[in-house]
Amino acid sequence: MLRALLLVFLAAGSALAAPVVRTEHVEAELIAEKAAFQAGKPATVGLKLRMEPQWHTYWKNPGDSGLPTKIEWVLPEGWKAGPIQWPYPMPLPVGPLMNYGYEDEVVLLTELTPPANAVAGKVPVKARAETLTLAAAEAPANPRIEAAMERARNNLPVDAPGWKFESSFTKTALVVRITAPQGASAPAKVAFFPDREGLIEPAAPQRISRDGNGVRIEMKLADPPPANVKSVSGVAVTDAAWPATKARAINVAAGAASMTPLAGTTSSGSNAIGGGTLAALLFALLGGVLLNLMPCVFPVLGIKVMGFVEHAHGEPRAMRMQGVMFTLGVLGSFVALAAIMLSLRAAGTQLGWGFQLQSPAVVVLLAALFFVLALNLSGVFEWGAFAQSLTSNLSARGRYADALLSGVLASVVATPCTAPFMGAAVGFTLTQDAASALLVFLVLGFGMALPVLLLSMFPRLLRVLPRPGAWMETFKQVLAFPLYATVAWLAWILGALGGIDAIFALLAGLVLVAMGAWFYGRWAHAGGIWQPAIAVMLGAVGIAIAWPGQMAPQEASHAAPKAGELAWQPWSPEEVRRLTDGGQAVFVDFTAAWCVTCQVNKRIALNNADVVKAFAAHGLTPLKADWTRRDPRITAELASLGRNAIPVYAIYLPGAQAPRLLPEVLTPSIVLDEVSRLPAAKTAITLKE
Amino acid sequence: MRVVIALAAAALSISALASAPPGQPAPAFTLTDLSGKAVNLADYKGKTVVLEWHNFECPFVQKHYRSGNMQALQKKYANDVVWLAVSSTSKTASDYLEPTRISQQLAEFKAAPARYLMDEPGTVGMAYGAKTTPHMYIIDPSGKVVYNGAIDDKKSTHVEDVKTARNYVVAALDEMKAGKPVSVSSTTPYGCNVHYK
Repeated sequence: MLRALLLVFLAAGSALAAPVVRTEHVEAELIAEKAAFQAGKPATVGLKLRMEPQWHTYWKNPGDSGLPTKIEWVLPEGWKAGPIQWPYPMPLPVGPLMNYGYEDEVVLLTELTPPANAVAGKVPVKARAETLTLAAAEAPANPRIEAAMERARNNLPVDAPGWKFESSFTKTALVVRITAPQGASAPAKVAFFPDREGLIEPAAPQRISRDGNGVRIEMKLADPPPANVKSVSGVAVTDAAWPATKARAINVAAGAASMTPLAGTTSSGSNAIGGGTLAALLFALLGGVLLNLMPCVFPVLGIKVMGFVEHAHGEPRAMRMQGVMFTLGVLGSFVALAAIMLSLRAAGTQLGWGFQLQSPAVVVLLAALFFVLALNLSGVFEWGAFAQSLTSNLSARGRYADALLSGVLASVVATPCTAPFMGAAVGFTLTQDAASALLVFLVLGFGMALPVLLLSMFPRLLRVLPRPGAWMETFKQVLAFPLYATVAWLAWILGALGGIDAIFALLAGLVLVAMGAWFYGRWAHAGGIWQPAIAVMLGAVGIAIAWPGQMAPQEASHAAPKAGELAWQPWSPEEVRRLTDGGQAVFVDFTAAWCVTCQVNKRIALNNADVVKAFAAHGLTPLKADWTRRDPRITAELASLGRNAIPVYAIYLPGAQAPRLLPEVLTPSIVLDEVSRLPAAKTAITLKE
Repeated sequence: MRVVIALAAAALSISALASAPPGQPAPAFTLTDLSGKAVNLADYKGKTVVLEWHNFECPFVQKHYRSGNMQALQKKYANDVVWLAVSSTSKTASDYLEPTRISQQLAEFKAAPARYLMDEPGTVGMAYGAKTTPHMYIIDPSGKVVYNGAIDDKKSTHVEDVKTARNYVVAALDEMKAGKPVSVSSTTPYGCNVHYK
């Protein structure tokens, strides 16, 4: 049972015995998003400080002078307060001195945890903040407060998985090296704020230089420097966002020499921050499992499962072997795909997940493959002698090879259907060294193979299905239709890549492929060698016809939107900057013709009358970043958002440091919810009738 | 962006603060006291000198005077050391006090530094790298800096913290008196900014 506790903030009154000058220059209030706490569950509250112009409060390391803000919580019995979560600081020069702290306004977040046996009711909570007096209580939970808390969260430094930190000392300098993970690159403008007071001269300029794909920050050591520096930790701030994070500030933790810096020796340690890996692996596993439900994978899986049904009463050992072989096929293919992507990336090509479909040739081949598979399921032809060794039900070895190949096939056909969960997992691989990236792909593949593997291990699960019979033939034929649909969709992608002529070439080619399949089905069983040869020739000619030639660069069509649709404008980083500088909020849809999820989202959640109205009401300009073809600028922008796959939906606000990201699967209410948090539009309306 | 710009601006505007680390000769200076008389550090060669960066408007300084802490030390070591209070606060700063006002306050608090030195241009404070009020230095009879840092280890403005704090200056002076080397010769000072020009 959950018991709700109502949090009541009380004014703390004057907190200090001795009057402090700063008191009258700072206004403070306690804020919370949630009015109701749950017993035993932590929730975050904030101390919002508003400073008069020219006045500031300090960071945990105040720099040359001053004291960090301390909060002394006066809580009911059993309640616990966590440490202050410090947003990254600003350098505040005062003559030749330097402070680290905050001007204007800052929200210091703290987690409060009621005891597990807390009783429902109103609970008084007081905070005493040193060097200032708290203003009156604030009614919790309103949009203004949520916005303030959100801003504070956005300014918290984050851990940056995959980044490496090293520190070394010279006689007079501290050098911190921040190395980007493979494929990423550290920003050029960086400022470092050490956690420890008295380590460096805060006012001395920091010398920043590029160091491979990393950045090197040289700072003047305090004179005298502190003794026994065991490690250097702090916060590194940049002016946009650290690649692969959304944050402007990352936590830096670097081992250092245990001897005093005075010794003048140079040594270093490195400490890659972990975390994030486990979550990425979990998402990869989930994403892999979900892939099985995609229209392009399900038929392949269906055939495999039916094979099991047929042999459910055979030897369990053989069946287990088949499951294992299928899994190996999937894993091998995923590793191969990952290796191709990683090596291409390493060679400098800007690629993202889904890159396969940015090549017209690959689209044509996939369309032909799906078409042939569909014809087979429709019963136009049987594999027969031509592929006897691969599909034979007779020999065990044949069945293993078949299982292995279906694993490969399932992986190949799965790649277009980027499951919702794959975006995050694949994006994560970007920030990783090759080994971790491969691990993510392996887990993704394992997730996809898991249902088949489980069925093969526990054939009893199959007993819920009817016994083998005529229904299986019907089921098989039904499975052909998702494949035909996939072909139609691939034709559309090709159209987006190469225009209407490319679609015609593909369809004409597929007619020949169909003829070849029919020929094979009609006569190949006669036993001769020339019948299958003619069939294969027909297919080859068909693919040759469909093969994409020089594709005329397709002018992106931005036709006038229909009523009730958003008026999409083409995306460019400059356009985003221009609009946000002009005070406009911008919604960017990172999409591509080959991204199914993107299309579904567009139909269901974006081209929705209420959403269109809300966009207009909040002056939100919709921009479309079309990744159907390769576009290094889009790849780079996605990387800066920590993604490498689409869909990605981002709202850029004027003055905000990082955009807000929406979930990958949208519903109208999710979009409306996000949009309603924006301030109402002051000026233009982008709705077109 | 602001972060980077501010750091860059600081880099340009800085009239770099020097420092006076322990073990190094103390930077020489001549300043005038509240009555306008010249005081030269070299005059005290052969004696132990304590430098106390000072500003009565600062809550951290007030903590040590309201508690009586600083005055007590000035009196306790009056026979052994020359205690010099220094103000490097610029005339343009809001917390600048005229020498006459400082004299009044010294009398009110019954403070007893040997001399109170005006360093309005801030040159001496910058030569020593004085960052805060208070910021303490001890110079041994040979003219070498033997302590540079905070008055004590309780970084606060609470008067009651004085009682429980570990006073670094007392520790250093007592060690010197006993003929021992100063064990803690540098700490990070705490207090208000010295408002230089």
